[in-house]
Amino acid sequence: MTYSSSLAVGRKSAGLSRNQNTASFRGRERALGPVSNTVILIVLACLLGLLYLTQVTKTNAYGYKINSLQEKQSQLAEEHDDLEVASARLQSVDRVQSSTVAQGMATVTPTATVQD
Amino acid sequence: MGPAAETNIHVVRRTRLVYVLLSLIFGVFVLRAFYLQVIKYEYYHKAALSDQLKEYEIPAERGTIKAHMGDSTVSIVLNEKLYTIYADPSLVKANQADKVANTLADVLGGNASDYKNKITQKDTRYVVLAKKISKDARANLLRHKYPGIGSEEQSYRTYPDGSLASQLLGFVNNEGQGVYGVEQDLNSKLAGTNGQLKAVTDINGVPLAANTGNILKEPVAGDDLTLTIDVGMQKQLEDIVKKGYDNSKAQGVSAVIMDANSGAVKAMGNYPTYNPADYGNVEDSNIFNNAAVSHPIEVGSVMKSLTTAAAVDSGAVKANQTYYDPASWTVDDFKITNIEEDGGAGTKGLKEILNLSLNTGATWELMQMGGGQLNLKGRETWYNYMTQHYMLGKATGIEQGYESEGYVPKPEDNGAGINLTYANTSFGQAMTATAIQMAGAMSAVVNGGTYYKPYLVDSTTNANNKTTVTKPTVVKSNVVSQSTTDTIVPLMEYVVQKHHFSRSFDESTYAVGGKTGTAQIAKPTGGYYDDEFNGTYLGFVGGDKVQYVIAVFTYRPKVAGYAGTAAAQPIFGDLAHMLIDNFAVTPKTK
Repeated sequence: MTYSSSLAVGRKSAGLSRNQNTASFRGRERALGPVSNTVILIVLACLLGLLYLTQVTKTNAYGYKINSLQEKQSQLAEEHDDLEVASARLQSVDRVQSSTVAQGMATVTPTATVQD
Repeated sequence: MGPAAETNIHVVRRTRLVYVLLSLIFGVFVLRAFYLQVIKYEYYHKAALSDQLKEYEIPAERGTIKAHMGDSTVSIVLNEKLYTIYADPSLVKANQADKVANTLADVLGGNASDYKNKITQKDTRYVVLAKKISKDARANLLRHKYPGIGSEEQSYRTYPDGSLASQLLGFVNNEGQGVYGVEQDLNSKLAGTNGQLKAVTDINGVPLAANTGNILKEPVAGDDLTLTIDVGMQKQLEDIVKKGYDNSKAQGVSAVIMDANSGAVKAMGNYPTYNPADYGNVEDSNIFNNAAVSHPIEVGSVMKSLTTAAAVDSGAVKANQTYYDPASWTVDDFKITNIEEDGGAGTKGLKEILNLSLNTGATWELMQMGGGQLNLKGRETWYNYMTQHYMLGKATGIEQGYESEGYVPKPEDNGAGINLTYANTSFGQAMTATAIQMAGAMSAVVNGGTYYKPYLVDSTTNANNKTTVTKPTVVKSNVVSQSTTDTIVPLMEYVVQKHHFSRSFDESTYAVGGKTGTAQIAKPTGGYYDDEFNGTYLGFVGGDKVQYVIAVFTYRPKVAGYAGTAAAQPIFGDLAHMLIDNFAVTPKTK
C-alpha cells in the first residue's frame, strides 16, 4: 500500500471524501471523571430520597389533619352525650314530681267513664 | 522526560492518591451504613418500634337503656364521662403543697389536710384524690397547672332516675361487666366490641398515616335497648310497694304488672331497693337481686285460681258443679283443713273454694282430676298443668340475671307421702314459684289460654341505627280453653267483690279479679313455722278483656291478720286503682 492509498483508505473509513482536510483539529474531549460521576450519583440519590421524604411527610401531614378532625368528632360526640345526660336528668320522674308545677297540681280520681 | 512532564506525573499521582483516600473513607461509610441498615436491621427496627409503636384497645361505648313514658321514650341508663383526679407526690412541689391542698378542697370538696397528706406521701407515685369529677370541676382544677396533679377520663353508667327500677336494671361493675338485672343478662349486647389501634406514632402519640403497617379496627358500640317498662307506671308501683312495705312491716315486697295479652312487663319492682350509681356502698348484696324473678316462695292460696282452672279445663270439674266439703281430708295420715274457719262442712262450689280459700276445696279439685281420689292419674294431670301449661318449675327466660326456676315436685310415688305433697301443691304449698312465674301463668288463664313469654326488652337499636322490635313469643297455646277463661275470670271478680278494699271497684265498669294467698314458711329443719307467713296476691284488671295481671309478694309481713289479706291485698288494690286511674284501662262495654 502506498502512502497516498493509505490516506485514501483512512479517509474512506473516516467518512471523508476527497479534498477534505483529514488532518482536522480535534478539540479537547470533555468527559466526566469518576469523582464527578460519583458526586452526581450521590446527588441524584439524595434527590430521590428527598422526593420520598416529601411524599411521606405529606401523608403524615394528612394523618395529623385526620387526627385533629377525629379529636373534634370525639369532642362533639362527648358534648352530645353530656347533653343527653342533662336532658334525661331534667326529665327524671323525681325532678318532675318535685317541680313547682307538679306541686301545684291536685290528685284527681276519675269518677266516671264516657263511652262512645 | 523533561521536568514539566515529571511534575505532571506527580500531580496526577497525588490526585489519584487523594481520590483513593476519599474512596476509602466513603467506602468505610458505605460499609458501616450497610452494617447498620442491613446486617443489624432487625435489631434497630425492633428498638425503634418499641418506642414508636403504640398499641391501644379502643373501648366500645356501652349501649344505653330507655323505657317508655306514655307514647314517648326516655333514657334511664346512660354513659357519662367523668374524671379521676390523681397526684404524683414526687412531682408536687413541697412549698406549694398547702396551696395545692386548699385548691383541691375548694374545687373537689373535702378536707384540705386530707389532701395535703395524700399529695405529700413519700412512698408512692400515684394517689387517687377524687373520683367521678365533672368536666367543669376538672377544668377548674387543672387550669392552675400544678405539677404532679393530673386526671384520667373514665366512662360511668349514670341513672337520671336514681333508684327507679334498680334491681330490674342491675349495674356495671369496675371491670365493665353487667351484674344483675338486664345489664347482666344482656351484657354481650350492651358491651359492644372493643376496637384496636396499633400504629407507629410521633412523640405525642399521634399515629403516622404514612406507616403502612398501622392497624385500626373501629370499636362497635353496644346495642341501645328500649324496655317494655313504663316509667310512670314503674314509679307509681315502687311508691305503692314502699307504702305496702312500711304498712306491713315485711322483710321485703315484690310486685309485677304484666300485659296479659303479650307478656310485656310494664312494671316490676321490689322494696328495699338501692341506687345503682352507688352500688359500692351497699352492705347487703341480697338487695341487688330482683326478688320478683329470683326469690321463689311457696305461693299459698293464689294457686287455687290455677288449680280451679286446671280442674275445669281438664273436664274433671264443671263450672257450676257443687260437692260436699267435709271441712277436712285425711291424706297420708295428715289432716288437711282450712284456715278460714267460716268454711265449715257443707255443700260448696267453685265460688266458695276461691272466696273462702278452701284448702279442702282445692284438694277436692285434685281428687276429681284423678277420677274422685288422690292418685297417680290426678297427680300426673295436675303436674302436667303446672309444668306444661303454667310453665312452673322452669325459668321464664325473662331478660334478668339470676332468674330462679322454682320447684314443682314430680308426681311419681316417692314413698314419702306423695299424695299429701300433691294435695299441698293444690293450695300453693310444697311447691315454689316466683312472682314473674305466677304472673305469666295467670296471664295465660285469663287471656283465653295463650302463655306468652314474659319479656322486658321492647326493641334494640344497633350501632348502625337499625332497630329490631321484639315480638311477643307464644310459648304455648291452649293452656286453658276460652270457656275456662270465661269461667275463672268472673269467679275471681266475685272474690274481689266479696273482699274489703279501702277504695272499692266499680264492677259494672271494670273487671277486677284476684285471690289472696297466705303461705306458711318452711323451716330449714323440716316442717313449717307457726308464726311466719308470706302474703301473696294474684289478680287482674281489665274490661271486656283482661288487660293487666298483677302479682304481689310480701315476705314475712308482721301485720296482724292473714298475710295475704292484710299485707298483699291492699298493695294489689292500690296498684289496680293506679292502673284504672292512669293507664287507659278499657272499661266494659257489656
